[in-house]
Amino acid sequence: MDWDTQYELMKAGRPVTVAGPSHITRSDHTRHDSDEGDIPMGLPSRDQEGGRRRADFLVDEEEVILTPLEQLTRHWMNERHAPDILPAQEDLLTSLLDHLRRQSEAVQLLREDPSTSEEEHIRIMLVQTEVERVKFIVRSYVRTRLFKIEKYARFVTTNAEVQRRLTAAELDHASRHAKITDQHFYVSVLQGLPEKQSHLDDTPLFVPPMVTEPDKSRPVFVHALKQCPRIRLPDGAALDMEKGHISLMPYAVVEQLVARGEVELI
Amino acid sequence: MTEARQYGELATQLLMESRRSTQTDTLMKYNDSLVRSIIREQRDLEKAINALLIDGRPPPPALLIIQTAINRNKRCLLAYHSHRVDRLRDMYWAVGGALPHLLSNQDIRSKLSPHEVDYMRQYNSSVMEFRSEFSHELDITASITNPPKDLHVLVHVVKDCGVIQTELGSIHFEKGQRFMVRRADIEHLIVQGFLEEV
Repeated sequence: MDWDTQYELMKAGRPVTVAGPSHITRSDHTRHDSDEGDIPMGLPSRDQEGGRRRADFLVDEEEVILTPLEQLTRHWMNERHAPDILPAQEDLLTSLLDHLRRQSEAVQLLREDPSTSEEEHIRIMLVQTEVERVKFIVRSYVRTRLFKIEKYARFVTTNAEVQRRLTAAELDHASRHAKITDQHFYVSVLQGLPEKQSHLDDTPLFVPPMVTEPDKSRPVFVHALKQCPRIRLPDGAALDMEKGHISLMPYAVVEQLVARGEVELI
Repeated sequence: MTEARQYGELATQLLMESRRSTQTDTLMKYNDSLVRSIIREQRDLEKAINALLIDGRPPPPALLIIQTAINRNKRCLLAYHSHRVDRLRDMYWAVGGALPHLLSNQDIRSKLSPHEVDYMRQYNSSVMEFRSEFSHELDITASITNPPKDLHVLVHVVKDCGVIQTELGSIHFEKGQRFMVRRADIEHLIVQGFLEEV
């Protein structure tokens, strides 16, 4: 828990800047002067490590090491805002889920142990609540991807580049989904039509194509996490984004920056 | 019965239904007769095209108009069906993936075409397969509308739902009772309308 860590620090006689209310944590990520007290919400055992490492990096402007939960939260937000399907974070997800499982098991053991004190029961409750909240984010993340995969299922099945960004399970779901949707169209509509009309892939002139593709020109809000290389906007103007800069622009312009983690979508 | 109709008029009616469905946020009854009439229109148009194509002569301009009508009708038919299955999938997720719950509702069931029922069954098994990847740690079909703030929740039983296993042991939920239970244990019952949060 973060207050545990703070308590430890206070006992050790180190000055502690108490983290403010949660709604300002965003700006805290980009601030370096008082990072010591800003120990992010996260999974307890990793927090201490994360906090220490963070302190070591105070001098270094570029790298801020994020806890797995913070990483997931960032991927989750990016995924929710990007029109395209972003690369799957399989390792991160697996390690977080393992951690959740271990923590749930530990909680179960402690709860059944009659010698667990009242104070510890309160802590257990906090841990359980946190576990539920992390699960919520994981769920929302997985479902956001699933929604996009279903929407673009036919596109996914024909595009090798997108397929590389999916997990095996997601890929299976995409092909199953494309199959049952096609089948549904076929039995409800296409089989009744004359032979010449019963295909799903015609490309008449002046009509949008039948296979839905991600619309990369959709505008997104971009928050620069560090000094970004110069980007060229669709109207030809150049833009240098300073750290902390926020802009609205088409997704296609910042696609690479999102992939490299230099910006986040908000 | 002779009606003077423009090409594509029926398809416009079909699209209006999808539109209304979105605007009123309701699932409308599957319009089987309209879909059939459009399919019939498509066959007639195809015949008209074949009649126009005579070997050795350049295709007459009317061909272009008929071809456009065919393309448009087809897209409208597909859009109608695709809009409906999107809507059905939304409803499916809104009840936490409880397909039997959805299909046992007579009101909803009567609005679906038999093909749509098949589709939902297949979709359900596809989602269940995907879900099994995660089942040890979490249930991905649970609600994602509001992040959990408390572990426990006070619920009011709206419909009898029998004996449910919770962390406090098994509880028999009977209509009218109130319980303080762990949210994760009974969330799906809230979603399906058996319990209400107080």
